[in-house]
Amino acid sequence: MLFNSLTFVIFFAIVVALHHAPFGWRVKKFNLLIASYLFYAAWNPPFVILLVISTLVDWHAARWIHQSNTEARRRLFLILSLAVNLGFLGFFKYGEFLLENFTTLMNSAGIVYKPPAWNIILPVGISFYTFQTMAYSLDVYLRRAAPTKSFLDFALFVTFFPQLVAGPIVRPSQLVPQFAEEKRATRAQFHWGLALIVLGLFEKVVLADSFLAPAADGAFGAHKAIAPLDAWTGVLAFSGQIFFDFSGYSTIAIGTALCLGFALPNNFRFPYAAIGFSDFWRRWHISLSTWLRDYLYIPLGGNKKGRIRTYVNLMITMLLGGLWHGASWNFVIWGGLHGLYLAAERGLRETIAERAWFSSWAFRLAMALLTYFLVNITWVFFRAENITDAMTMLASMAGLAKNPAKVLYLNEIIPAVLVVAGMVATHWRLRSTTKEALIETWPLWLIVLVWTFMLFMLIITQGSDSAFIYFQF
Amino acid sequence: MPSSISSSDNAYPAPKTAFFDPEHVARPVPAAAWRVVMLAVIVATALLTAGWEIYWRGKEFRAGDFKNTPALWAEQRRKATGDATVLIGSSRTLFDVDLDIFEAIAGVRPVQLALEGTSPRVFLKDLADDERFHGTLIVGVTTILFFTSEGGLRESVIEYARNETPSQRADHQLSLPLERVFAFLDEQTRPKRQMTLAPLPLRDGMKPRFDPRKLQILDADRNAEMWSRVVNDKAYRKEAQDQWLLVFRLSAPPPGPNGEPPPPMPDEAINAVISEVKANVDKIRARGGEVIFIQPPVAGPFLEVEQGGFPRARFWDRLLTMTDSAGVSFHDHAEMQAYDLPEWSHLSPADSKRYSRALTPLVYAEMEKKKAERAAR
Repeated sequence: MLFNSLTFVIFFAIVVALHHAPFGWRVKKFNLLIASYLFYAAWNPPFVILLVISTLVDWHAARWIHQSNTEARRRLFLILSLAVNLGFLGFFKYGEFLLENFTTLMNSAGIVYKPPAWNIILPVGISFYTFQTMAYSLDVYLRRAAPTKSFLDFALFVTFFPQLVAGPIVRPSQLVPQFAEEKRATRAQFHWGLALIVLGLFEKVVLADSFLAPAADGAFGAHKAIAPLDAWTGVLAFSGQIFFDFSGYSTIAIGTALCLGFALPNNFRFPYAAIGFSDFWRRWHISLSTWLRDYLYIPLGGNKKGRIRTYVNLMITMLLGGLWHGASWNFVIWGGLHGLYLAAERGLRETIAERAWFSSWAFRLAMALLTYFLVNITWVFFRAENITDAMTMLASMAGLAKNPAKVLYLNEIIPAVLVVAGMVATHWRLRSTTKEALIETWPLWLIVLVWTFMLFMLIITQGSDSAFIYFQF
Repeated sequence: MPSSISSSDNAYPAPKTAFFDPEHVARPVPAAAWRVVMLAVIVATALLTAGWEIYWRGKEFRAGDFKNTPALWAEQRRKATGDATVLIGSSRTLFDVDLDIFEAIAGVRPVQLALEGTSPRVFLKDLADDERFHGTLIVGVTTILFFTSEGGLRESVIEYARNETPSQRADHQLSLPLERVFAFLDEQTRPKRQMTLAPLPLRDGMKPRFDPRKLQILDADRNAEMWSRVVNDKAYRKEAQDQWLLVFRLSAPPPGPNGEPPPPMPDEAINAVISEVKANVDKIRARGGEVIFIQPPVAGPFLEVEQGGFPRARFWDRLLTMTDSAGVSFHDHAEMQAYDLPEWSHLSPADSKRYSRALTPLVYAEMEKKKAERAAR
């Protein structure tokens, strides 16, 4: 079920009504669990089975790990959990990719191999809930936490519908405790939750889909050399589209959970105001970057095993982080570029001594713009359909493409440029604060004006026909 | 921050090692009179929306004109089963056949599956491959689209109908009652569409974009007719006509190296298209169904292009002969002449009714005649 759909409006109204009905807390949790399964089944009912299997396997694996007396047994049960979760991911998400590459390898070795047709549908949000359940088993294995005692709480942790299909990826320690006692939003929380839902929908439906997608789709859909203005407009528009699409989803998820009395963590903090890449990853898809840090980078040794290993660990983490997004070499390159940026930044910090003017406003702004520029280079690989298209787009941006065509009309360029300029300026202005703190400074009339504008725009835009980009991951 | 909820005070066992410190989950609520805000926002939005509705009604948009969505098509596609009478074709078949009149004359309401800018060949194949369908299929032929394109603008609806999710179907059902009430719920009124229509100058060297205007209004069962504004608003009609002239310019095949006219479509290509059509027609007939072709009226530049580039003997007549099918072309019937086609391609609402009154009995008469012919062989 899409957040930006009429079905969700009715679904959510029923869920809220049941959550405020005079039932016991256990019954309410049961309602939320059933609602979460319905939410997921609304796409493809059979895939609910995957959720159930994932839940059962990690519930038992964690308990067995906790009860085991030997390291060998603990490791065995962890492998069981990882094998099932990564097995699902591997089969549904990476099967075709592996088969394609295997075929290419065979053919390049002179062995004629024709793979069978691969007609497997990717279950929505599988990467998100797989990482979430794996975190539970890993926490128990790494002795960071003991298993929860309530199966219902755990099942709800895996399936909790606000963040089930596109995050934020929540840790067991962040969400499971919230199910222990009855949660009901205060009136202020409920209203703020609704306000967040409107904000998130506005980001997705109005800004991402209506104002930015036409320019991004027009430029990346050309599949040929295009003029530098078109290329830059398309890439910048995509930088805004992907942000508003994904941040919009997270904001709706947070607002939805808040209306029910639950707290979900932030997933974005004005990332296009980042100064450097370690800062960027503290602001972009925070729940994934912290997951990768805690369950991959640190277990690999982090920065504790010498300089070379630190750089290797960084690269491994970012390459796998890229591959998490999708089964394509483009995503691997995207992750690899971020790994290189992080490594280069680390190297520069180690070799260049801190200067007083580093903290000047102008220098910081220049570094933020440089970071944004370099992030946009990575978005080319993220958005392009293949490496050839990505290279053509980069050549177009550099003005090096032969016979570049103009493909974007002013009707697409002007709205995209205005929204992107507004987005970057807003991120810079708010880089050290939060939207909550900002709104507290606003007079009442301004809050009313802004939310009326967003709600009205949402209504006249009449929803959008497209799913959230991150659903495909 | 007056209030917040947090997961820090929890029953979940504390981490047993020190290094792991998951992000503290706090969800502060900004201090504001939120109840007042909500009320004010709802009232102001309701007023603005009412104004928006009045504005678009003033532009001849009306409630009960349904969006021509894949979900609306899929709903009708599910009815195209058994011995149903089904219409497939392009926009002329969609606009020009009035389902109420057809039903009044034939006693059966056809399922309308025609779609703008799309060749009916994809729908013919879809129905031929569907073993459950053994009814009457009326195929509208817009010669250019039929012979030059296998699919077209909206062919993806078939995939959509096959893979429609429960939530997409529910969304459609929830949208219908709203579309019955609000006129502004229309693809044309969306800000995204309005931005595309804004008359901004063209960048140097760019060709104008072919962007057909809204031409039809649609009932919930896809019974369509031309939008009144095309008939009544001269400037709007001119915009619609200009778009057709533009597409003729943009899609005209290039002349030869010495300026000679482009070569006509070769016989082999025409025969290949008809052979594919025949295979699908035969599949339906083998199950007891019947297929008939119709050619709705055209005028102006469309008539010139179709007569010049797609002569009847090479296309329409050959189609009927090779598929052994009946056909009703507007060229052949005196009662189908002198219609009003405001933008040359589609009939005005009044004349679509006249056309449907003439067409319906002819469809059945020609089908019976052809069946008798086949039986006599």
